[in-house]
Order: sequence, then structure tokens, then C-alpha cells
Amino acid sequence: MSSTNHHLNLFPPLIQAGHAEQFIQSGKTISFAQSPLNQSHAVFPSARQDAPSIKYSGVEEQPIFFASSETSPSSERRLFIGDTSIIFAALQNLTNTAQNRGQDWLQSQETHNVIRKLTLDYINFARECWIHTSSQDSSQFSGDHYRSLYTCLSLFAVLYVPEYGYEDAPVGDDLMEWLNVHFIEPSTEEGDHLSSLDHPWEDDTFWPYLVRVTLRGLSKAATFFLGTLSTHPSDNLRRLAQQLSPLLQSQPHLQSFEAERDFAYASHRWKDKVQALRLELDNVPEIDRHDGTENWWDRLSDIVGVLEGRNEVIRRVCEDLGADWREASVSWGVFTDVRLRRQDLPEVVSQVVEDMPPDPTNLEDMVHAALFSGDPAKALSHAALLDPWLAAHMADLMQSLSLIEKETNEDSGLNIRDFYVLSYSQYLHADPALWRITVAYMFSCGETGVRSADEVLMHVSLRLSSVGTIAHSQEETNGANMKSGDLAGVVKDINATCYEYQREEVRRTICRIAAQSFVQGKEYGLALSYASSAEDWPGLGRVVDRVLQEYISAGPEQFTRYVAGIAPSLQALRMQSGAQGIFIHRLMFAVRYAEFHQRLSNRDLQDAAWDLISMFQDGIAPKSWWGVLLCDAQQLLQYDGTLLFPYASACILLQHLEEVITRTDQGSGDEYLRVLISKLGCSGTTEALHALQGVRLALAKYFARCTMIGTGEKQVAERKFGAVV
Amino acid sequence: MPSATTTEAVPIETAHEDMIHDAQLDYYGKRLATCSSDRTVKVFDVIDGETSKSSGHTLKGHTGPVWQVAWAHPKFGHILASCSYDGKVLIWREQAAGGWTKVKEHTLHTASVNSVSWAPHELGAILACASSDGKLSVLTFKDDGQWGADIFNGHAIGCNSVSWAPATQPGSLIHPQQPGAQPAMPFKRFASAGCDNLVKIWGYREDTQSWVEEETLDGHTDWVRDVAWASNIGLPRSYIATASQDKTVLIWTKDSPTSPWVKTALDPSTASGAPSTAAAGKFPDVVWRVSWSLAGNILAVSCGDGKVTLWKENLRGVWECVSDMSS
Repeated sequence: MSSTNHHLNLFPPLIQAGHAEQFIQSGKTISFAQSPLNQSHAVFPSARQDAPSIKYSGVEEQPIFFASSETSPSSERRLFIGDTSIIFAALQNLTNTAQNRGQDWLQSQETHNVIRKLTLDYINFARECWIHTSSQDSSQFSGDHYRSLYTCLSLFAVLYVPEYGYEDAPVGDDLMEWLNVHFIEPSTEEGDHLSSLDHPWEDDTFWPYLVRVTLRGLSKAATFFLGTLSTHPSDNLRRLAQQLSPLLQSQPHLQSFEAERDFAYASHRWKDKVQALRLELDNVPEIDRHDGTENWWDRLSDIVGVLEGRNEVIRRVCEDLGADWREASVSWGVFTDVRLRRQDLPEVVSQVVEDMPPDPTNLEDMVHAALFSGDPAKALSHAALLDPWLAAHMADLMQSLSLIEKETNEDSGLNIRDFYVLSYSQYLHADPALWRITVAYMFSCGETGVRSADEVLMHVSLRLSSVGTIAHSQEETNGANMKSGDLAGVVKDINATCYEYQREEVRRTICRIAAQSFVQGKEYGLALSYASSAEDWPGLGRVVDRVLQEYISAGPEQFTRYVAGIAPSLQALRMQSGAQGIFIHRLMFAVRYAEFHQRLSNRDLQDAAWDLISMFQDGIAPKSWWGVLLCDAQQLLQYDGTLLFPYASACILLQHLEEVITRTDQGSGDEYLRVLISKLGCSGTTEALHALQGVRLALAKYFARCTMIGTGEKQVAERKFGAVV
Repeated sequence: MPSATTTEAVPIETAHEDMIHDAQLDYYGKRLATCSSDRTVKVFDVIDGETSKSSGHTLKGHTGPVWQVAWAHPKFGHILASCSYDGKVLIWREQAAGGWTKVKEHTLHTASVNSVSWAPHELGAILACASSDGKLSVLTFKDDGQWGADIFNGHAIGCNSVSWAPATQPGSLIHPQQPGAQPAMPFKRFASAGCDNLVKIWGYREDTQSWVEEETLDGHTDWVRDVAWASNIGLPRSYIATASQDKTVLIWTKDSPTSPWVKTALDPSTASGAPSTAAAGKFPDVVWRVSWSLAGNILAVSCGDGKVTLWKENLRGVWECVSDMSS
């Protein structure tokens, strides 16, 4: 069995306990659908396909369960994720810069200091979160969980991210400080209890307490309780205690020295003094070594033994005190070998854990053991089980410090760092609201990460209906905004993210989806903006087609209203290089055709007639629309008041009419009459041609009127056309 | 992290009058389409794992049990495909006013259609279908609103499932895409799972305008129930997962376009709670369905024993069961 395994039970249960066999016997099985939104699955009972004939009475329910392999982060966890993602981004910046500036720069003091600072930032956030969650009951992760992250990261910092230049310095004191901060022993209560007694040495806990504070290098507490022995009946003990106190206080510590050589010399001198004390201790006669409660001499000998750095004494004392492998290993570096270096630690630890193994069921312990043993990769594999957050961030730091293999594994195609960072981002993906952070982590993980991020980005819910609503409310105050189809809300965010990571194809796909969605909602202005943002010119053409379709299905009034929504885009698109002509032409036609209908409905017939002719003259009317335009012309031709078309314009109408009819005769009726046929709601070309015959008759009459009335009107009209023709 | 959890979501009542055969979440995971032996397809809105009561639509049109449903990419609109025992594939489109209408009836199959699958969106709106007589068909929605269809013999007996290859081949180096840059030419290819115990790979030849059998994956000893081609998420090779009546799941990998497919069996004996009697590489019962996750490389497997297990390739390239859900 793998300890990585998560077991998930459905509740309420789909199958009652013990009924699984019956469930399977009945020809049912279980099936599922994966959600692209997060790491959840829809699970449901299904018929086995080889038994499709099962028919139920209809009373049995057919439920679907949603189950997630990851739990969505709670609010406090989200805060932790969000805050630490900022540190992650800072390290990401650093490594990106390093790629430009070379490996040497990555190993420079300046860079090392930044990495160390960021490591300390992580540590601080873990501590804050521990303090914060400890005061809460309903946390998803207990305070103890964050405490374990705190201890692991702190240890990592001590062992692998020391101050620049101190990599090769003795590590004992730093480790002891770490141990004292995170694993406080002996407890304050024990000290309080003992200090309240007149003769504390008569208490069972006195000597163990004194040995423990010595082992932990807590010289103040040790000195205090050695002081209480001044009233002890034994002269020898009183004298020895008095000598021991200054010795404890004067133990040399690395940080008090400028040079390690001085520290080593001082340590050597100090050891000589301890040696002298040992001689005195040995001189105490056997008879005076017991005070009636305890053999004080044995205890004092243990303390001196610790100070001497006697291995077997430290080991035994640790076992007696219930201290673990950590305490034994750290004491080694403080007493046995004061010049113990980081690279020598694994050797020491391997000896210690032979007798005092770490607890394999305690992941925190296992992470510590791997870090102590100089095996960062193993530390990561335990950390991943403790919390994917820890493995990801530690792996990220480890890679920047060149502690783990950077090469990709041939089988999985990922390197160690990317594997853990991706696992964490998959954990984040359980909460769709965290998509920004999810993709930030993914984008840092090579090609696999980039492609995964693409998928996540493309599946972020666009919530376009709410964009529409926002746009509508904006319309009240600022109509221009809505009409120009400003990107808003989530789409704007995703667009920005795509720009940031240079994911142009993804951005375009998202814009296409948005355009399609707006077309469905008849928000043509927005649809057009998105289609052009995607540089999807055929798509833009289809939006315009849909607007033109509105003319056919809903009539000119609706049509002009919809065109008002898309008209502002025209100007912008004409300015844009790369916008493809044919689709822009179609948009121009829609706009001009709407203007024409606007004038028609305003009874501005002269200008309407002018519009109509210019659409033909400028060649922007698609052939499929000629028939419709010609039918529109009919009412203008038949207008009694004035002659609206100059003679030449009427000739243009005639030319186009002739082309439509001739080409239809030649079999291109579909190309020329398609729109007119659907506008008229008729079944074939015959009715459409019949309608066009009406136009021809109107034209014939019009020419007759031109001849009869003379040139006055013609001249007026021609003057208006002069500028265009 | 907790190793045993219980889901808390309230189960959704679908109101289907008979067994559900398939359920699919849409592109955004916001809507659920289900199909059943009661001959209907239903569509629900899903909010936080629950359906909103008012939103259900029932799509009626099939005259037999409906086996599968598939959502098209949203850039083509809200479109669903369903396939049925009645030998038909129906295409449904949601109307602007709400409600669904049938926009296409694909009737070229003359036997029960078991599976439908939409191609990667880069290729256009293309649907592959597989039927019990071993025939495969590919339906293409064209720009002018017309549908084109190809149908051909795929497997000797019957075909249970189809799955499309990603539109771009794995291993192709990617560079930040610049505006206006042409993406690599997409390629049309899919895999089919048959009752002849084989998985076949089909590729479209633009020059002859036809589908050609490119490769055969021979490894199962009984009907292949499901096939799933992993999307190209930047992994260095192609992945296909197959599930079979022979109680195995095989992962097929191909390192480069010219190298052969290599198979590995998932080993459920490494998973928690596995019966000690289980033979290495065998599931306790028939494996019905395999499906890849969207982001990342997680494979979900459903087995006849009522369990769904999730599998992931570890750092050493070994497949491990990372999670299981029991009913």
C-alpha cells in the first residue's frame, strides 16, 4: 500500500455497506465524468453496457454525486496561499534574471542574500499562520500543521541557506538554537515547579531537569539551579556546583568570535577546564556521592560527561530523558565536535539514527531526518505528503540553490522541482477562483507547465452574462463604453494574463468563445469587439452576417438598432492594419444599409435614394443582397412627389437588375437571390424573380417619367452626386 | 493531509426514469448533460456541485437508450451531441431564448451508436462516432452551415469508444506565440476501441480526402471498453489509456512520431484496499472507463467493483494510484 493514497467515500453512500455485491449482480456499475473546472468528478451508478435491457419501474432514483480528490482551500488557507505566492513570484523573478545574467550571478553573494531573505519570508508566513490558526478551532489545517511547516522550513534554512560565507562554518550552535525554538525542553512549568521548592534537589525531576538544560545549552537556567545547591548538605557537591556554573556560562560560541580559529582555540581551552573539573569529580570519595535521595555524583558526572562531549553519555542521557535523534545529533555538534560542519552532519546522523530512529509515521520527523541526512530530494518526497505547498516551495528554493538535479527525468519528462510545483498547482486547481495563482505556478514549469496553464486559462469561466450586465449599467452613464465593447471583468484579467505570459493563441481562443457567446445573446457590438481582438476575420464576418440576418428575420427597425451597436467598431477596424478587407466590407455594408433604412423611416427619401445608389456604386453591397436592394428601390422609384434618382442612377439600378436576372437564368440564382428569397419567405427563385419583375416595371415607368418631366430634377440630383461620382 | 475523507455534497437527483449511461460536464464545468435508457438527454446547471432546480432541460428525440453525450467547444456555441441504440447521432443547439433544438440528425449508422467524441477545437466542429457493427463515422460541420460525413469500417465486430488525438504533436518545441504567428499545422487523428480486442488509430489524408488506418494497438485479451487519448499538455510523448473487459488498463506511450507504441499495465495491487487475491496488473472487475484530467497527467479509471481510482505518473515514470473513491 502506498501511503500517498487518498481514500474518498461518498456520503450519503450510494451503496449501503455490504451491498456492493448485490449492486454489481444487479447489472449496475459505477461511472464518472471529470470536471474541467477543478479536480472534482461527477460519480453515478450506471448500467453495464452488456446489460442494456435493465428497466426500472421509474421509482428508483438516479442520483449523481460530486466528489473531489482535493479539498478546496478554506479562507485562512487561501490567505496563506496568496501571501506566499508573492514570495514565489519574487524568486521566479530572480531565477528569470539569472537566466539572462548567467550561472555565476546566481551564485553571487547578492543573489544568495535574496534567496535567504525569501526563505526567511516563507518561514515568517508559516509562523504567522501557525499563530493565527492556533487560536481558531474551525481551521481546515490545524495550527500544528503550520507549526510543522515552520519547523521544516526553519531547519532547511539553517542547514541549506546559511548566511553568505558561512556555508563552511560549524553548524552546532545554529542547530541548537533551532531545536530550542521549535522543540522546547524542559518545560517552563518544570522550572517553575522546581524554583518554588526549598530543597529542589530532593525532587525527582531536579537532576533530569538540570541534565536537560545542560544538554540544551541553556546556561542561565543551569546556573540558577546549580546555585540552589549552595544549601546542599554535601560540601563536595556545593564546591563542584560552584565551579560548574562559570564553566557553563563561559562555553565558547561561534558567533562571539571573529575567526573560527579563535573559536576553536577557546573551545580547546574550555575543554581543558572541563577536564580539570572531571579530575576533581573523580576525587570525591565514594561515601559522599549519595545524599539520601539520589546519587548526585552520577548525575553530576553525566553533566560533565555531556560537556566533555562523551558520545556514549550523550546517547544514554538522551534515551533516559526521552529525547529523540534530533537532540542527540544536535548535541554532538555542540559538545562532541564543536567544529562539526554541514557536510559532516549526515555521517553523524546516520550513526545516531541507528539506535534512535525517526518515527516513520510522523512526516515532519521524516522531513527533518532527510534534511539532516543531506538528502534534499528525499525531504521533498516526505514534504509532498505532509503538504504539497511545502514540497513545491522547498523544491523551488532547492533548485535555485542547485541542491537538486535540474535535468528532466526521461520517463516523466519533468525535473524534480517542476514535478512538485506542478503537483501543488494541481492542488490549487481544486479551487477555480485561484486560477491566477494556479497558472503563475504552472507557467514556471517548462513546457508541461505552460500547456497545463493554457488549459486552465481557457477553462476559466468568463461569466459573460455579468459582463453584459455591467456593460448595460455603464451604458446608462457612458454609452460609448458599451458600444465600443470594452473588455471587462474576468475576460480582461485573462487577456492581461495571456499578454503577460505571451499566450496569444490562448487569448484568441478565449476571445472567440466570448464572441460566440455574445452572438448567442445578440450582443453584436461586444461580439464584434471580441472577434476583432481574436483577429478572427471570418468570425467577424459571421457576426455581421448574423446582424444582417436580423434584417431578414426581424425587419429594418430591429436591424438598425443592432447596427447601432456595431457601427462604432467600423472606425476602429479601418484603422487597424491586418484587418481583412472582405469582412470589413461586409461590416461597412451593414452600417450603410442601416443608415439607408434610418433615412427611409425618417422619410428622408432623397438621401435614402442617394445611399442606395452609392452602395451599388462603391461595390460594397454583396451580390446576394442586390435583389433586396433593388426591391427597396422600387418604393423610391414609385414615389410620386419628385424624381429621387437622377437618370444615370436609374441606369445603375437597371444594370444591376439585368445582371441579377441574367445570371439567375444562367443558373446562379442561389448566389444572387438567396437573401431576397429568405426575406420574401418564398420557396424558390420564381417568386423572387416575380418581385424583381415588379422592380423592372417600376424602373420602366421611372424612365418614362424622366423623359416627360425633363431635366430640372435631374440637375438637382446630379449636383448632389457630383462629389461622389 | 487527511488520507480518508468523505464527500459532503448533496447528490443531484436527475429524475431520469431509467439507468444513466453517461454524464458529461461542459467546457467550464458549469453544466451537466446526462443520458439514459429512458431515451432522453438532460441538461442541468451545476453550481458548487448542486444543480439549480429551475434549470433542467429534457431533450427528446431518440427512440432507444442514449449511450453517450458530448459537448462541443464553446467557440462553436452551446452544442451537444448524443448517440443511441436507435442508430442515430443527434446534434443539439441551445437557442438564444433558452431551450434546445435538434439541428442535425446523423443517420448513416445502421446499428447502435456507442460513442461520440468531438475533435480538438483547432480542427473545427468535427464529431467522430462509433457503432456496434464496427463502423466509424466522422461528421464535419462546415462554414456554410452544411454537414459533411464520412463512414467506414473500423473493427470486425463492434466498436465501443472513440477518442481524438491532440491537434498538435507532443515534443514540438513551443515558443512564446507572437501575434500573427502561424501555429503548427493541426492534424486529424483518432483512436477507436473495438470488440475485436484491438485499438486502432486513424489518420486523415488531405491528399486523398480519406481516413486511413495508421496503427493497431494489440494488447488486450477481451473487448476494449474505452479509449482516452491524453491532451498534449507539453509532455514529451503521446499517451493513450485503454480499459478492457479483460480487467486491465493499459497505458500506451509513443516517444516520437516514428517510434512504436509501448504499453504498460496499471497495477491495482499497489493501491490501498486492494484485495490480496488480485493478480498483479489486474483490476477486480471489468474496467469500464478511463479519462484524463484537464491539467496535469491524472488518469481516472472506473471499475465494475464500484470504485473510481485516480492514477498519476511519479517522478520515476511509474504509475501510482493516488486516490480512490468508493461508492
